[in-house]
Amino acid sequence: MSAQRRSLMWQYIAIGVFAVVYLLVGFVVRNSYYQLIMTLVLIWATMGLSWNMLSGYSGMISFGHASFFGIGGYTMTIAFVDFGITPWIGIPLGVITGVISGVIIGVPTFRLRGHYFALSMLAYPLALLYVFEWLGYQEVSLPMKRDAPALYAQFSDPRVYMVLALGLTILCMIMSLHVERSRFGMSLLAIKQNEPAAEAAGINTLRWKMMAMMVSAGMAAAAGGLYALVLLVVTPQTMFGVLTSAQALIFALFGGVGTFWGPVIGAAILVPLAETLHAELGHIIPGIQGVVYGSAIIIIILLAPDGIYWRIRDRLMQRRLGAPAPSLVPEPIAARGADTGRARSSPGQPLLRLDGVSRAFGGLKAVDDVSISVVEGLVHGIIGPNGAGKTTLFNVVNGFLAAGAGHIDFAGAELVGLKPHEICRRGIGRTFQVVRAFPRMTVFQNVIVGSYVGAATDAEAERLAFAALERVGLADQQANAIARGLTMKQLRLMELARALAPRPRLLMLDEILAGLGHDELEDILRIIRQVNREGVTIVIIEHTMQAMVKLADHFSVLDHGKLIASGPPAEVVRNPAVIEAYLGKKWMDRAKNTVA
Amino acid sequence: MLKIRSLSVAYGGLQALSEVSLDVERGQFVAVVGPNGAGKSTLFKAISGTVTPSSGALTYNGRDLLSVAPAERAQLGIAHVPEGRQVFASMTVMENLEMGAYTRNGRARWRELLPTIFALFPVLAERRDQLAGTLSGGEQQMLAIGRGLASGPELLMLDEPSMGLAPTIVDAIFERIQQVHRDHRLTILLVEQRVAEALESCDRGYVLETGRVVLQGSHDTLMSDARVRRAYLGM
Amino acid sequence: MTDLQWFFINFFQALAAGLLVGGIYGLMCVGLGIIFGVMRVVNFAHGDFMMLGMYVAYYLFTGFGVLLFLGPYAGPIVAAALAGPIVFVIGWLLHRYLIARVTGTRVVSAEAEGHYTQIILTLGIALVLENGGLILFGSKPLSVQTPMSRESWEVAFIFFNQARTVGFVISIAFAIGLYLFLSRTNLGKALRAAADNPIAAAYVGVDVDRSHGIAFGLGCGITAIAGGLIASSQSFQPYIGFDFVIVMYAGVVLGGMGSILGAFWGGLTIGLVQQMSTLILPYQLQNTAIFVVFLLIIFFRPRGMFGRVWERT
Repeated sequence: MSAQRRSLMWQYIAIGVFAVVYLLVGFVVRNSYYQLIMTLVLIWATMGLSWNMLSGYSGMISFGHASFFGIGGYTMTIAFVDFGITPWIGIPLGVITGVISGVIIGVPTFRLRGHYFALSMLAYPLALLYVFEWLGYQEVSLPMKRDAPALYAQFSDPRVYMVLALGLTILCMIMSLHVERSRFGMSLLAIKQNEPAAEAAGINTLRWKMMAMMVSAGMAAAAGGLYALVLLVVTPQTMFGVLTSAQALIFALFGGVGTFWGPVIGAAILVPLAETLHAELGHIIPGIQGVVYGSAIIIIILLAPDGIYWRIRDRLMQRRLGAPAPSLVPEPIAARGADTGRARSSPGQPLLRLDGVSRAFGGLKAVDDVSISVVEGLVHGIIGPNGAGKTTLFNVVNGFLAAGAGHIDFAGAELVGLKPHEICRRGIGRTFQVVRAFPRMTVFQNVIVGSYVGAATDAEAERLAFAALERVGLADQQANAIARGLTMKQLRLMELARALAPRPRLLMLDEILAGLGHDELEDILRIIRQVNREGVTIVIIEHTMQAMVKLADHFSVLDHGKLIASGPPAEVVRNPAVIEAYLGKKWMDRAKNTVA
Repeated sequence: MLKIRSLSVAYGGLQALSEVSLDVERGQFVAVVGPNGAGKSTLFKAISGTVTPSSGALTYNGRDLLSVAPAERAQLGIAHVPEGRQVFASMTVMENLEMGAYTRNGRARWRELLPTIFALFPVLAERRDQLAGTLSGGEQQMLAIGRGLASGPELLMLDEPSMGLAPTIVDAIFERIQQVHRDHRLTILLVEQRVAEALESCDRGYVLETGRVVLQGSHDTLMSDARVRRAYLGM
Repeated sequence: MTDLQWFFINFFQALAAGLLVGGIYGLMCVGLGIIFGVMRVVNFAHGDFMMLGMYVAYYLFTGFGVLLFLGPYAGPIVAAALAGPIVFVIGWLLHRYLIARVTGTRVVSAEAEGHYTQIILTLGIALVLENGGLILFGSKPLSVQTPMSRESWEVAFIFFNQARTVGFVISIAFAIGLYLFLSRTNLGKALRAAADNPIAAAYVGVDVDRSHGIAFGLGCGITAIAGGLIASSQSFQPYIGFDFVIVMYAGVVLGGMGSILGAFWGGLTIGLVQQMSTLILPYQLQNTAIFVVFLLIIFFRPRGMFGRVWERT
C-alpha cells in the first residue's frame, strides 16, 4: 500500500478512535448537564470545522459565520413552528438554504480584499439580526410533540442528541480530511500562501473560494439547525450574534488552523471550561464565558498563533530529527524521462510575440510600445537597469496587469484579456521573485500545486509533480523534506519545479538567480540549460549579468519602459545605448573622448 | 568620521553584504556604485539602522552606531535621503521640511537652514503648501534632499537619488548635490547605480558587486577602469 | 395639516436629529480614523472604548457623584471630557503590552495570520472588555440623566434635543481641537508622519513605536469622549460596543480610510442616514440601513469620499 493510503488509513483510525472514546465517555457520564455540554462541544466543533473550511484553509478570514448558522437554525425552526415540518427534513433544508446564502454572499464579497472582506462578513449577520428582530422572531420556542417525538427528533434522553451531533461532527471531519488531501485543499492552501502565484500556477482561485464558501456555509447551517433543536429556544442574538461568529473562529484558532483536528481540540478544551465556569460562577460573574473566550484568543495569538495542534506537532517533529514527514510521495513510477514536453511547432519559429505592448500607471509609462519576439527553443533574457519595467512586462504577459495597448500572441492565440490561470493553462509557467513556500509542508506538496492545471486526476498530478522534481534534481530524499529547512538554492529549485510541473512550453523566470553564491549559481544554471535543451523555451529577467551573458541566446534591453536594444549578448553589451542606460551618459561621453 | 569594518548582512537566506569595509572622512564626498543587486541599498539600510548586520563594526565619530536606535541616529547628525524618496505624501512640502527639522540641531538652526534650502531648490518654495504626494518625481527627490538638509546634519547620505527619474532631471539633482558639498562643506555618502554621475564629483569611490567591495579608489582611477564596466555588463 | 406638511416637518426633524447625532458620531469615527490611519488594521475593540467612555462619564457624574458639584449642566460635559484622558491611558497600556507585540517587525510569522493577527487579537480584547464590563458594571441599562436629556429647544417647528445639541457642539469643539493639534503641534505632526510613512519617519528621528502608542491611546480617548456625550441622550449597557463597531467602520470607510477629516464627515453622514432612514423604514431597522449603506460603499467606492487612492497593505 502506498505511503499516502497508509497515512489516510491512520487518520481514519484516529477519527474512529475519537468517536468510540467520545461515545463511551458520553454514556458513562450521568449528569444531564454534562451530557448537554458534550453535545455542545460537538456542535461548536462542527462550527469550527465550518470556519476552518473557508478561513482556515484559504486565509479569507470571516467574522460572520453566524449568518449561515442562523440561517440554518431559523430555516429548521420556521419550517417546524410555522409549517410543522419535522427537523429531520428541516435541518437538511437548512443546509440547502445555508449553501444558497453562501453563494449569494460569496459572489459580491469575494471581490473584496483583506480587511474589507472581513468587515463585510461581519456586517451580514448583524444586519440579519436586526431584520429577524424586526420580523418578530424575538424568541421562538420549539413546540413539544408528545405523540410522536422521535418523528420530530425530540428525545427525552439527551445522549441521543449527542450521538446525532457526533455523527455530524464525524461527517464534517471526514469531509475536511478529504478536502485537505485533494487538489481542492491544496489549491486553497496555495491561495492562502500566495494568491498571485497560485493564479499563475493555473489555479482558478475564484472557483475554489466559492466552493469553500459553499461547503463551509452548509456545515455551519447544519450546526445551527442542530443547535436550535437541542436548545429548544431560538433568539436572534444566539443565532446571529457576534459571540457565535467569534466562537466559530476561536475554536479553530485555538485548536489549530488549517487542520480538521484543530476545531475539535479547541472546542473540546474551551467549551467545557467556559460552560462549567458559567454554571459555577455565572451568577456572581456574569459574562465569564466571554472573558474566557476572549482571553483564550489573546493568549493563543501571542503565544502560538497557529493553534495548539501545530505547536505540538512542531515539537514532535523536532524531536524526530530528519525523519520524513507523513510522506505523500508515491512509489517511483515507471514514467520517467519520457514525455517532457508538449507537441511543439518547429523550433526556430517565434513562440511568443509581443506587439506594441504598453502599460501606464497614472501618467507614468511603465511599459512603452514594446515589441519582442521570443523564438522557440531559445533562452531569451530581458535585461535593463532598475526600474526599467521588466517585472511590469512580465506581469502584463502573465495576465496580472491588463495591457493598455498592444497584442500578445502565444502559439497563435491572443493572450491579452485572459486571466493568469488561463494563461498558465495554455502552457506558460512562471516563477516569482519572492519565493513563498508552505513552510510546514514537504517539497513535494509544494510542487504538486502546480501540477493540477495539467492533470485531470489527482493521481496524474502526483506523477507530474514527481517528474518535475526529478528534472530539477530534488527527487529522492529532498522531496520529503519540510520546506521550512531548505536553503535558498533548494527553494529556488522547488519554485522551478512547481512551474515545470504542468509541462509548459514557455517558462518565465523572474530573478531566479538573485543573491546566490557562485557554486549555487552554477548548479541552477546547469539545470536551466538542461530544461532548455529538453525543449522548454525560457524567458528570464535577471540582474546577475555575469550569469546572463553565459546563459542567454538573445537579449532584449529595456530602459524607462522602452526597448532600446535587441540581439545576441556579445553584441548588445557593446551597444552604446545599452552602456549608456546602465552606466550613464557621462561614462559614454568619457569613453568616446578617451577612444578618440 | 564614518567607519565601516567587515560588515556582513544576511537576510532571507541571502548574503546581501560580505565583509564590506568603507571609510568616509569629514568633508569628503564618497560614492558607492554597483549594479543592481550588488548590495548598495543594504549598505545604506545597515547604516541607517533599518537592517541589522550579522557581523562587523560601524562607528560614527568614534561611537558605535550599532548600539544606537535608528530614530536616534538622526539626532547624531546623520541625515538619510532614502531610496524612492519616501516623502510624507499626505503632508505639505513645508510640513515635510518641518519634519526634517525634528532633530535638536534642525530646530535650533531652522531660521538659517530654510532659506538655504529654498535657495538651492526654488521649486520647493513655490510649492510650499502643496501636498508632497502630488509633486513630480524630480520635485519629490529635491524635497527629500531638502528634508535631509533641514536636520542640520554633519553627514548626508543619499540612496539612489536617480532612480526612476528622467536623465535631465538626474543631471539637475546631481548638480545640486555637488553644490551642497562645495558651498556647505557637507560630508556626503552617495549610493548610486549610475556610475559616471556618482563618480564625477566624488573624492573617493567604492564599487560593490554581489555584496563585496571589488574596487576602490579616487574618481580618476575608477572612471577609466574596465573592471567597473564588467561589473555592470558582465563582459 | 396636510400630509405633505407633515412629511416636511418629519423630514426636517429627522434631518435635524441626524445632524446632531451625526456630529457626535463624527467625533467617534475620528477616533477610529486615527487608529486606522496608524495601524491600518481593523480594531474590533473600538466600540468597547466608547462603552468605557460612557461608563467613566456615568460614574464620574452620577455613579460616584464626583462631579456633581459642577451642576447638572456642566457636570456631564466635564465628565465626558474627562473620560478622554482616562480611556487614553487604558488604550495606551493595551497597545503597549498587547497590541504592539503583534505589529510591525515583531509579527510572529505564521502560516495563517500575517496581518490578521492584529484583527483577531483585538477581537479577543473586545470580548474581554465587553464581558469584563458586564462583570464590573452589571447588565442593567444606564444613562446619564440630566434635565437636558428630556428637554428640547424649539426652532421654527423643529425640536432640538438639548442634550444632543450640547453634545453636538462639544463634539465639533473637540474635533476642531484635534485638527489643530494634528496640524499645528510638533507632536501632532510627528504622529501624522509616523502614520504616513513609518520608514521615513524613523529616518527623521521620530520614535515610531512611541508614536503608535500615543496615536492608539488618542484614538481611544477621542471615541470615549464621544461615548460620554452620547451617554446623556441614550441608555447603554456593556454590550453596546458591538452595535457601534459597524456604525463606526461605516463612517470611516465612507469618509475614506486614512483621512481623519473624512472620518468626521463619514460619521456625520452615517448619523444622517440612521435618522433619516426612520422616514421610510421601521425604527428597529435603522441600523440595518447603515449596514446596507456600508456594504454599498465597500462594493462600489471603497475609497470613500476623501480616501487616498493608494492603500498601503
